[in-house]
Amino acid sequence: MSYLIKHRITRRESLTLIGATLAATMLPSVPLFANTGGMHQKAFAGTDKTLPVIGMGTWRTFNVGSDPTLLDARTEVVKAFFEHGGGLIDSSPMYGSAPDVMGYALQQLGTPESLFSAEKVWSPAGGSAREQVAELKDRWTVHHFDLVQVHNLTDWREHLAALQEMKAEGVIGHVGITTSHGRRHDKVEQIMSSEDIDFVQLTYNITHREAENRLLPLAEERGIGVIANRPYDGGNLIKHLKQRNAALPEWANEECGCTTWADFLLKFIVSHPAITCAIPATTQVEHMRENMCAGHSLMPSADARQRMADYIESL
Amino acid sequence: MNAWTSYRLQDFIPFTAEVYFRLLERMGETFWPLHLLTLTLGGATLALALRHRTRLACLLPAPLWAFVAVAFFFQRYAELNWAGGYVGYAFIAQAMLLILMALTGWSMDNAPRATNPPVAIGIAIALYGLIIMPLMAPLSGGPWYQAEVFGIHADPTAVTTLGLVLIMLRGVALWIAVIIPALWLLISGLTLQVLGSAGATTLFAVLVIALLGIVWKSIASKP
Repeated sequence: MSYLIKHRITRRESLTLIGATLAATMLPSVPLFANTGGMHQKAFAGTDKTLPVIGMGTWRTFNVGSDPTLLDARTEVVKAFFEHGGGLIDSSPMYGSAPDVMGYALQQLGTPESLFSAEKVWSPAGGSAREQVAELKDRWTVHHFDLVQVHNLTDWREHLAALQEMKAEGVIGHVGITTSHGRRHDKVEQIMSSEDIDFVQLTYNITHREAENRLLPLAEERGIGVIANRPYDGGNLIKHLKQRNAALPEWANEECGCTTWADFLLKFIVSHPAITCAIPATTQVEHMRENMCAGHSLMPSADARQRMADYIESL
Repeated sequence: MNAWTSYRLQDFIPFTAEVYFRLLERMGETFWPLHLLTLTLGGATLALALRHRTRLACLLPAPLWAFVAVAFFFQRYAELNWAGGYVGYAFIAQAMLLILMALTGWSMDNAPRATNPPVAIGIAIALYGLIIMPLMAPLSGGPWYQAEVFGIHADPTAVTTLGLVLIMLRGVALWIAVIIPALWLLISGLTLQVLGSAGATTLFAVLVIALLGIVWKSIASKP
């Protein structure tokens, strides 16, 4: 206070302050890539909402049935996810008991405000999209899904129309489509171009970059959020790096703050301007912590990303 | 990229090895000491088959196939894999088939001789399912509850039954009776392969040996 009393603001300082204030009001209310003191966040789907860049997948890892030991173990993984600033959790009726396991974890931990619940409708699960969403809400023990996607484009016209209706009614927050393993990119591109969707989920990692050609630029152009699945190529990337005893290059730490291979691989993905978040899956709390670290520190520049890709290719 | 050719085997296995082996362990924990009864029934079935009481021998495993269908597939495995319910129905169908064969006596081999090579193969496979399979998990350092037992777990039930039908049946009935056990062993072997378990090789070996025995018996029994 004494500083304010003693220091009178000069005319030059006043003009600078006014200019800075005007400039600030002209900026988007939420930056595209912001570090809000914790996990990096990205805006999505042309809204002012943001998502933490590291989310969580549940394929295989959360399908533990009614095993009490494993239910508690996965609850600890979810707890670590939220403690480290996690937001989006993605599941599907195709993933066996994963939605029930999420429901168990949320019952134990409570449902944090940061949760961005992402589910899917999938024709082989039976029932209409509306019926599937209602059943999945019960399984997750949530009242609302933030995102529901058409899984692997199965009956996408019917499901997407139903999801759009539900979104208009406020039953769900956003709609999307999914693919994986680089499948049906032509169809995905067609839907992204012609339909009003908020998210697309696809496979994107340092060794599977096909989406860079058309889908990621299109997502940026259309304001569609992108969820990157299989960030470790189903675990193969980490496994191969460990088998080769590959050392993390020193420049990776200096340029991008990478201290583990998880850091390296995830930062590569989420630093792409079109990617909203990546969804690694794990069964272990320690691995969850490693994954979440990737969203907290320095992100690679475009040049550093190219260097990262070249380095992996050279191994 | 062609959508179908891009699928790999692991895309169809929606759980991890940890979860699958815990499932086997939970079956052991939940139903112990029922194992003693099911093993006794398995041993009795083998003895009856070799003493030419084949219709009764065909009947005894039927309730165990139904039990595995309900306790293993419907109540537990289907939680992990949406296809598990369909496999459960297949196990029920196998139970009904065994009952039907026992009641009608269709294509029974009423005088199987242990010296007959296909029958000897059947005996070896049945003994493997009844005695060796339960010992594999404990001998490889796993807990006793993970021991896979005939009449409790799906794999030894299918293996032992393959051996038993090779002893008891002949002709078309033999081929029909092996369809479901053989298909399950194929599925289970592929599952174990994805999960990185050495048990996969053993199941494939049993399957190949059983099929050789069936072909041998079919050729040998032709007039």
